[in-house]
Amino acid sequence: MTPAEEAHPGPVMTAHRAGLVGCRSCGRVWPEAETSCGRCGGALVPPDRRCLNAVWAWLAAGFIFYIPANLFPMLKTSTFGGLRGSSESTILGGVVELMHYGNYGIAAIIFVASVMVPVGKFVAIAWLALVAGRPATVRAAHKRLHLYEVVEFIGRWSMIDVFVVAILSALVQLGFVASIHPGPAAVSFALSVAFTMLSAQSFDPRLIWRGLPLRSRKDPE
Amino acid sequence: MTDTPPPQRSDAPLKPAEPVRKPAARAVRAGLPLIWLVPIAALVVTLGVGWNMIASRGTLISVAFKDATGITPGETALKFREITVGKVESVRFTEDLQQVEVNMRVDKDLAPYIDKDAQFWIVRPQVSAQGISRLDTVLTGSFVEGYWDDKVDGPQTEFQGLDKPPLTSFGEQGTWIVLSAERSRGMTEGAPVLFRGLPVGRMQNLRLSENDEGVLTDVFIAAPYDQLLTTNTVFWDTSGFSISLGAQGLSLNVNSLASVLQGGAEFATLTSGGAPVEDGHVFSLQPDRAAAEANLFADEGRVLRLTMLIGQSVQGLETGANVQFMGLTVGRVTGLAARVVKDADGRDHVEQEVTLAITPERLGLSGEATPEEALDFIAGQVRAGLRARIASAGFFGTSLQVELAELPDAEPAELDRDGQPHPIIPSVPGEISDFSETAQGFLARVGNLPIEEALKSATDMMNSVTAIASSEDTRAIPAALRGTLEDAQAAAGEIRQVTTELRESGAMGELRRMVDEAAAAAEAVKLAAADVPAMVDRIDAAATKIEAVDYASIGTEAEGILRDVRALLGTEDAEQLPKNLSETLKSASGLLNDLRDGNAAGSLNNALASASTAAQDVSDAAKRLPQLSARLEALAARADAVIAAYGDRSNFNNETINLMREMRRAANAFGSLARTIERNPQAFILGR
Repeated sequence: MTPAEEAHPGPVMTAHRAGLVGCRSCGRVWPEAETSCGRCGGALVPPDRRCLNAVWAWLAAGFIFYIPANLFPMLKTSTFGGLRGSSESTILGGVVELMHYGNYGIAAIIFVASVMVPVGKFVAIAWLALVAGRPATVRAAHKRLHLYEVVEFIGRWSMIDVFVVAILSALVQLGFVASIHPGPAAVSFALSVAFTMLSAQSFDPRLIWRGLPLRSRKDPE
Repeated sequence: MTDTPPPQRSDAPLKPAEPVRKPAARAVRAGLPLIWLVPIAALVVTLGVGWNMIASRGTLISVAFKDATGITPGETALKFREITVGKVESVRFTEDLQQVEVNMRVDKDLAPYIDKDAQFWIVRPQVSAQGISRLDTVLTGSFVEGYWDDKVDGPQTEFQGLDKPPLTSFGEQGTWIVLSAERSRGMTEGAPVLFRGLPVGRMQNLRLSENDEGVLTDVFIAAPYDQLLTTNTVFWDTSGFSISLGAQGLSLNVNSLASVLQGGAEFATLTSGGAPVEDGHVFSLQPDRAAAEANLFADEGRVLRLTMLIGQSVQGLETGANVQFMGLTVGRVTGLAARVVKDADGRDHVEQEVTLAITPERLGLSGEATPEEALDFIAGQVRAGLRARIASAGFFGTSLQVELAELPDAEPAELDRDGQPHPIIPSVPGEISDFSETAQGFLARVGNLPIEEALKSATDMMNSVTAIASSEDTRAIPAALRGTLEDAQAAAGEIRQVTTELRESGAMGELRRMVDEAAAAAEAVKLAAADVPAMVDRIDAAATKIEAVDYASIGTEAEGILRDVRALLGTEDAEQLPKNLSETLKSASGLLNDLRDGNAAGSLNNALASASTAAQDVSDAAKRLPQLSARLEALAARADAVIAAYGDRSNFNNETINLMREMRRAANAFGSLARTIERNPQAFILGR
């Protein structure tokens, strides 16, 4: 239970219920009649479930790109100008290979960063979008908010894989002996992460509070 | 969710300023179709990329190899002209586990060309007689190489890989020929095919011919060298080295080391006029160049075949033997057979049928001459006396050849044009018996050489020489010879001394004086007749005295000496004594005769007492003669002994005779000197 809830045991007053609309850029609330934020100039859009369309759209795009990101090779390693052979490894293939060589720590990092986090984001955003605006208890609403914040926070770190690929590609350019090039999966993965972040940003967290009960006594424990 | 504001909003402190709300769907409604373009575009892009990747993934082909040495799935590349065009994806066994199936993903743009002609092999480092190749694969690992032509001809995905790289890629321009040989000598996979020592092709695909009658190998002669091939080209084996002892003598052929190790063949087009060669032409690989040249005669289409019949043994005549015409090789013997013919009496007897393949050009006919024209030419020659006969060839005449000899005085004969199987050229007997026996005779002569005896004689001779050289007698020879010479010198000196003494003693003058004195005495006797009785007494006494001198014994003694000397001179051995010795002795005998004459003079024993003195002198002188004789005898004996010592050894005898000759010559000189001095004493002083 948050301190705010403890301070206001009664029905939670939301901006919408107060006839106000919050600015998504700077957080200032304005009367619903206002169409632009007087402080930061951002457009004032009242929360609407239909804006979830964008969330779903971005999420779908991100997910679509996540598929080739896993199927296509992430790294193309060629040694001796390709004479010795070049290896292409996908994300999961690399994880399996690392585990095969006993590097469980790195395998876990890559697995978490490249598989669990994006998949978790997809699931989280999808769930948030699904339940947004639906009736919820205050506690559930807070959970959703936490989840949203986590997704927002983690989103930028999802690019770690892309960074690794970019750094390796830049560093390991030993010409004939060995060279590493990013594979098509790297672009897909970056796009997937970017779209997921856009999706998370498109999500209007104000919708979390739209389905709150009017009376706090009806709140379940 | 509810859109209606709560009813008690009016008195609430947080009541919004404006109850009126605009519909919220405004922006969303406008953004709906737009925002959904993003996932659609993403889907399109992803699907496009995915489809593109799948589409450009290439074709999966599967090549079966005996083993998959050095092949790593996912790494091993497939190369075409050294460019990677694919990659091995997986390796698995065939169902019967006899082979390994290598699945390779080939670039899509090349896949259509990989049709049934495609060949695949695994490239590994190779060490061969020609050197080490593909060392790069040591570093980079093996790879699969493929080769296919530029024609799209029904793409195929199942292939049988080659065990080893093909020696020539079939994209090269050139001509494929087939070499056939009875045995695989000189034929190995990859063996070079040379033209004037330059490798222009390689053997490959060594195999048994159908019916297992021989060995075949494919040879690819790359352009432009394939222009050198004609149907007249001959191939021969250059492998190893060969030493051949033939009609041309001893010949040693050694080619390159690679050829020695790996074998190889060489070819040459020795005669012009052959037709161009097409792929698959079969050439016969001859064991050596000579055989190849022989084969050239046998192979030529315009060759003229003749038959000669011989009633003799043709041992030593072989297929391939030369046919000589005026010293030129004009053809070869291509067949030897026996046939039963009836002679003039109707009896069967066997004749040797020798088939000759004659090249008309070599007879001096033009290259366009037809066999008929050549036959006409030969028929004319036969009328003029051309006959075939067997002649010897080679070192010992053990190998034979056929000679077309012009024998104008031969019995008239005609070329039998209707002869079977070929026109029969009349033949004359060669000296074949000699030929066949020459070697035997040679060996027999060698065998009959008294080598044993010669060796024995040589051994004996050496032994004798050793024995002689080491014998005391041999060592004594120089001393003995020197002694002999010294004796001869001494003898000569003594003879001279005797002569001188005799002369000095003035025997003649003495005698003359004695005679004078005797005359004077006689005068005195006549004058002193009164004293005769006393005189007579005295003369008697003197006579007695003189008689007592025993001249006879002296004479006998001298005669004995002379006899001895004569005997000595008369013996065979004495003949080898210096002649001058005998002459000296003759002089001595002359002296003795003189003495005897003196003796006769001495018979005037009535002479004076002085005569006795003279006689005494003579006696003294004569007394020395036995000593001389004895010395001569000793000399003769010694010479005799020396000669006897070597008498039965001809060489030494000869030497001794030579020595004696020398001695004789020396003694001759002495003798002549003595004679000269004797005859002409003043020559000594005047120098003549």
